[in-house]
Amino acid sequence: MSLSTILTIVIGIFSFFIFFYFLRFKASSKQTDRSDRLKWSSYFTYKDREKNLKGKNPDPEEDAQFKD
Amino acid sequence: MSRHGALNTFGRSGNPIIRSDVFTSKASSSEDRMTLNGAVNKTGILLFLTVLAATISWNFQGPFMLLVSIIGMFTAFIVGIATFGFWFFFVGWLVKPRPYLAPKTAPIYALGMGFLIGLISEQMESQFPGIVIQAVSLTFFVAASLLLAYKTGLIKPTQNFWLIVFSATVGILLTYIVNIFYSMFTGASFSFLTGNGMFGIGISLFVVAIASLNLVLDFDIIEQADEQGAPKYVEWFGAMALVATLIWLYIEILRLLSKLRR
Repeated sequence: MSLSTILTIVIGIFSFFIFFYFLRFKASSKQTDRSDRLKWSSYFTYKDREKNLKGKNPDPEEDAQFKD
Repeated sequence: MSRHGALNTFGRSGNPIIRSDVFTSKASSSEDRMTLNGAVNKTGILLFLTVLAATISWNFQGPFMLLVSIIGMFTAFIVGIATFGFWFFFVGWLVKPRPYLAPKTAPIYALGMGFLIGLISEQMESQFPGIVIQAVSLTFFVAASLLLAYKTGLIKPTQNFWLIVFSATVGILLTYIVNIFYSMFTGASFSFLTGNGMFGIGISLFVVAIASLNLVLDFDIIEQADEQGAPKYVEWFGAMALVATLIWLYIEILRLLSKLRR
């Protein structure tokens, strides 16, 4: 095994752990507090699933809140 | 906070369909909400399934495995479209995205693509020894670099960024589809896609760049869904998007390295 191959493997392993370690952290405020942020909610809405769940499992407490 | 739970949930109209923003009020309790950790764990599970299927495909080469890989590729393509949807220029969404399918479709996608990349990797490795480990390492190197750039705010995905990356991605996908049909009828591929001249290498570099920039969009999907308390199944959706891009990036890097070695 050549030195360059060993170096590539080491870089790969290091990058793998960096990737999975930093993926767990929240992005900096520089990234999140922006006015020009993409609004993914306009592309992916979850209402279909929500409607299905609400139709199948109505929450009894939800109706109770209407009483007063 | 109002005691009227329905008003809090659905807004003043009371109609769940015309709520202004369903993204922000997904899950009722913290247990139902997605987390970054959950998305990372699901990404790990999907990558494990991909590697598992690739290992099987690599070690048991033959006509049967070829058939399994082709079926795997088509299955992954179908479940990918069912989950992410299919958008076309000037027409819009031909198939609407269905993120809630991801817990079922993501493992199928990972296994299907795993069989395919096992087959491709084995063939590439037999032609260019050591190329697979280089491609895997480079894929994670690119992914880790872009993740750090995203988390620190160095790369900021905006509407224009999305438009450029998305248009380029659809364009590349269409070119590949046309190339498949062209090669089916003529037996040859577009030379600019497969050639190892400067132009062919340039095209490969461009595709690798676009695949890498797609990772930034995936990070943003996961980050924003976590911030806004999206439902638990979005962990699978985010992980599936990330793994799909990583697989694409790996294949493109493999292709680029093979061109450079010829």
